[in-house]
Amino acid sequence: MSLTLGRRLRIRAMVHVAGEPIPFLWPMRTFIHHNPLYGLEHLPFAEAVRQGRRLFHARGFLPRALYQRYLAQGTVDVDTLAQQVRCFLAGAPALEGINLHKLLMTLLTETSAAVTARVTLAEAGDIHAALTGAALPACAVDQAALAAQVKTALPFDCPVYVGVDELFGTDIGTTLDELVVKSCLDFFDEGQSVWQMPGREHGLFAAWSALARRNLRLFIRGLHIQRILAQGDTPEGIISYVMGELRVPEEAWVEYFERSLARLHGWAGFIQWRSGAKHYHWGQRYPADLVDYLAIRLVLGLALLREHATRLKAPGDAESLARFIDERPAEAYLRREYYGKYVLPEMARVVGDTIASGRRARIERLLPTYLARKRADEANRQAAALRGLADRAGLGVALSHLTPDELGILLATLSRFEHAEGPMWLAAQEAHYLKQLAGGLDLNLSAPRAKRPFAQLLFCIDVRSERIRRHLERIGDYQTFGIAGFFGIPVGFIGLDKGSETDLCPVVVTPKNLVLELAIARNPEDQAFVSVLEHVFHDLKASVLSPYITVEAIGLLFGLDMFGKTLAPLAYNRWRSRLHPEKPDSRLLLDKITREQADSVIRALQRAMIVKALGSELGIEREAITDEMIRELRETALDHQATATGFAQRFKLSADAERHFIERLRSAYRINRHYTQLQLERLGRIGFTLDEQVNFVAQALRSIGLIAGFSRFVLLAGHGSTTENNPYESALDCGACGGNHGIISARVLAQIANKPLVRERLRNQGIDIPDDAWFVPAFHNTTTDELRLCDLDLLPASHLVYMERLSNGLQAAAHLCAAERMPALDYRDFNADSMSAYRTARRNSLDWSQVRPEWGLSRNAAFIIGRRQLTQALDLNGRAFLHSYDYRCDLRGRLLETILSGPLVVGQWINMEHYFSAVDNAHYGSGSKVYHNIAGRFGVMTGNLSDLRTGLPAQTVLKNGVPYHEPLRLITVIEAPFGHAQRAIDSVANVRNLVHNGWVRMAIADPDTQILHVFEDGAWQPRILSVAGDQGAIQELRI
Amino acid sequence: MWVLVALFLPLFPLSVVQNMLLARIPRPLARSALLLLLPQVGVTLLHTLHPPIPGFLVTWALLSSAFYALRLLTVRDLELWSGLFVSSALALTWGVAARGADVTTLRLFAFWFSLPATLLVLLTASLARRMGAAYAGLFTGLAQSQPRLAGVLTLVVLSIIATPPFPGFFALLDILHGFGGAAALSVLGVWLIWGWAATRVLQGFNSSNGREISGGDLGMSSVVGYAVTLVVFAAAGFLFTRGGL
Repeated sequence: MSLTLGRRLRIRAMVHVAGEPIPFLWPMRTFIHHNPLYGLEHLPFAEAVRQGRRLFHARGFLPRALYQRYLAQGTVDVDTLAQQVRCFLAGAPALEGINLHKLLMTLLTETSAAVTARVTLAEAGDIHAALTGAALPACAVDQAALAAQVKTALPFDCPVYVGVDELFGTDIGTTLDELVVKSCLDFFDEGQSVWQMPGREHGLFAAWSALARRNLRLFIRGLHIQRILAQGDTPEGIISYVMGELRVPEEAWVEYFERSLARLHGWAGFIQWRSGAKHYHWGQRYPADLVDYLAIRLVLGLALLREHATRLKAPGDAESLARFIDERPAEAYLRREYYGKYVLPEMARVVGDTIASGRRARIERLLPTYLARKRADEANRQAAALRGLADRAGLGVALSHLTPDELGILLATLSRFEHAEGPMWLAAQEAHYLKQLAGGLDLNLSAPRAKRPFAQLLFCIDVRSERIRRHLERIGDYQTFGIAGFFGIPVGFIGLDKGSETDLCPVVVTPKNLVLELAIARNPEDQAFVSVLEHVFHDLKASVLSPYITVEAIGLLFGLDMFGKTLAPLAYNRWRSRLHPEKPDSRLLLDKITREQADSVIRALQRAMIVKALGSELGIEREAITDEMIRELRETALDHQATATGFAQRFKLSADAERHFIERLRSAYRINRHYTQLQLERLGRIGFTLDEQVNFVAQALRSIGLIAGFSRFVLLAGHGSTTENNPYESALDCGACGGNHGIISARVLAQIANKPLVRERLRNQGIDIPDDAWFVPAFHNTTTDELRLCDLDLLPASHLVYMERLSNGLQAAAHLCAAERMPALDYRDFNADSMSAYRTARRNSLDWSQVRPEWGLSRNAAFIIGRRQLTQALDLNGRAFLHSYDYRCDLRGRLLETILSGPLVVGQWINMEHYFSAVDNAHYGSGSKVYHNIAGRFGVMTGNLSDLRTGLPAQTVLKNGVPYHEPLRLITVIEAPFGHAQRAIDSVANVRNLVHNGWVRMAIADPDTQILHVFEDGAWQPRILSVAGDQGAIQELRI
Repeated sequence: MWVLVALFLPLFPLSVVQNMLLARIPRPLARSALLLLLPQVGVTLLHTLHPPIPGFLVTWALLSSAFYALRLLTVRDLELWSGLFVSSALALTWGVAARGADVTTLRLFAFWFSLPATLLVLLTASLARRMGAAYAGLFTGLAQSQPRLAGVLTLVVLSIIATPPFPGFFALLDILHGFGGAAALSVLGVWLIWGWAATRVLQGFNSSNGREISGGDLGMSSVVGYAVTLVVFAAAGFLFTRGGL
């Protein structure tokens, strides 16, 4: 089937639209926290959760029993809960004798199971009869209604195989998923497999279809893939053909595609991200997009359907499935009851046997009996649940006086309420947290400090910084600030010995500038013997046959490694690290290079390449050639001159041999005009102009309100984690640095801010950094709490005398922080001994069997934008992102807009990732780490074959099976005059939508009026704030 | 007379009678008692007949055992499953008898399979009380919702399908030693199918996705009762079979 361009584009557009609700999935190397419902953020939160349930079969709120647990723990605001119930009842019909508010509050707080169960047959009259002990009214079998019921459950946009599985007990969906996952694993592999899939450079669909045509295993299973593939030469053509064969009306295609893509949303999300990642090496080399993926899925699905249709005489397309339901409603109903697991357990055997017999008369005979039993069962269950609830609420007598119609109204109200209760609990939990937080806010303006602090520390806004900041402030004269961990400088970074670029900034930002790390002095001989040996071991393990020999020969060595890592991880890792050479000292190339400098760099590189080429291609040693000959060869390769005459004459090369060598220089050694131009462009990205450097420093300092009173030490603490055997390691690193360690960003800012020229320009802008102030980059290891200072060799001698005090202070804070954290990791003995806690934390970071080295960002709840003083008196338990901000330094609100559009959005993604992973870890999270396997070096699967797991593992958000992370939406508090903050929010469209749609709970603490403005129910609601320290004193403002 | 014995040590199609009888007895205790009693009656009758048993009957017994083993693969109702399993396992008693085993060995062989079957019947009743019917695959995994019940069910099913250290394992080893090539292979095949069927049924109860189960987990006293019975059962097996040596 050959499609017109317009038709192909139309299908591509439909797939694109269908893929919108599927969230991106980034490779695990740089785990990006994101909202699993990002594609639905244009909808209000509750509506998006409903759509999420439809697409991903996932829950968006906790089960009631868990909310009741929070209620018992006192973290739910009962007044807000009651208020929510009142709001719900405002639109509900009243029932005489029934105190609905009391009934619903009883339902929420005292009943753990749902009261309105899945009732499909019983009506209000039946339930009334069951309640009063009367016989159930007679009811005729309506076959059309049964058919309609089955059809409603299996609409046209639902993949056909889902319907067949539901009605015939087949397992096409699971088989299809397995086949698709296997195909994806083959194609997307990034070096984990030794034998690679052939033809990958032609794209996913082309490579897969070439293999599938010859796949004997599929043929033996009866899947005649080649017959389907013969119908089209493009993925769009195949999609069109398959959808035609499935007889799905074109107006339902987008929904059909949406559901098909959502089935393995991890893979679909990864492919979607990969196809749009312009700099992703594997994506460029082996292209693939959702259209390819969908075409494969549809081809395999159709082949499986045809095979089952032939073998089981089951419908093979949407129309015949609908016809089957219309023509044999009794059988369709009973089949769905049985295979859909809705069957009455006590009748399961007889229903199963009857369906298996395939005799229509027997099925028709069974149906009335089954329906009657089911109706009675539903009525009795519903009546019992209702009676139990009413009795608990003290309304048992009133319930018994209701007429069947009133009972119907009550049941409808209860059913609607149970569908709507999740947001009520959530609002009540958030209200409680906000009350606690707001009660402790200090909006008073402090007097200027008499003397500058001993040291100032800039930490990432990450919730884990809050603890160490608190301890530092407590133990010494330290002033701390919070700023996004990339310090406002988005850079692409190429580290020592790395060939690829890493973006050190939030994923919503694309860095324009490149920073290179250069070793100060290094000896090539330093390449450790052990490193080489490790490469050899890896190769031996990875090849096809050598593992058999390797295990026999040197298996014992691996055993020693295993014992060392398991029994004494601290000592063993210390010993092992000595085998590796230390990383050489390095500097970052930060300054822009001129055109001449760039030319010179390229020339030097090309000369080196030519010398190498002469040696390897012609066996000519460097001693035999002159600089002039090299120049001549370079000029020839770049087409600046016709031939390298001098060189050819000296080595008596024929014209052909010379031409051949020049061609090799151009193709193999990439000394050609095109590549030179490319290199020039790349070199143009290196570094920052002086203006850029000044602007970045000024913006970073202004955004946190640090424009005067600089200390002798200004520490820039980037953070990261160190864990072993942990695919989720990068999830513990800095989200603002794109899931990488933040130390490079700290080094960049420090190196820039220490430049006299930059400081001079800053002085002109009103930021006077004294000469004795020195910016020192530091690394905050969040797993161990260690704070390590970097680039100390650059420290002025005048500062060395203070280093002892600084180091002691940092170490003490680290120990105290570890002592605070360890009990939450179930190490309860360290409250008194901070040193032991610190040692345990270090052991955790090196223990390869540790599934929970730290809690990471779990329990995050709030995002505070304001001065440190605002929350300094509060112990925020490592639950708040703290972004320093002084509105007095931001008259136009631009800095606030930047904070809202960058750090807040990153915070919201982190918060939503944790929220959804906690409320439904099986679907939105990635389940238990214990069963995880690495897939293709870019993802994680459960077991050996599954969807790519998205979200966070159970060990990150759950403890003993219940949420450790309290799932709340991000409660954001901005300290600024109301109008100022409101303007900033309204001018960032993305953030405004997040606030208005309820993805972020926004509050503005106005220091001028001492009023807290909370965005609720579509409007700003004012609350009076108390004086600091009067916990919980926050009241409704009555105007 | 052989027909009479085949009613108690079930051979197809006479086994249908025993299965129908078991299916019609609603009380689990009564059903358990029958499961223990009927094979012993069969052994007594067999002993009074004084073998040799005709060769065709041994072949028939093996076929009957294989038939019921295969039937197990398609059954999801645990009540039916335990009955069919007993039909498959006890048919092998004919093979033991054909080798000239004494009456004690025959009685013990039947007992090694009928005792775990009675435990399964009792567990089936527990499951039916909670779920409405002990039907595999209808409910959310027991392993999560009722871990004690899931654990006991797993152990009982493992004991019934003759996994070590339960006595059925050693009893079957003994048969394999005694039988010649084809017969031994047949028994081995039946044994493998039991394992397959047990996996399916355990999967259907322990780790399926379905509706929520109401009712609590198995009480600790019941768990201890089952555990002690299984431990004593395994110890008795070691004692009487001498580990199959």
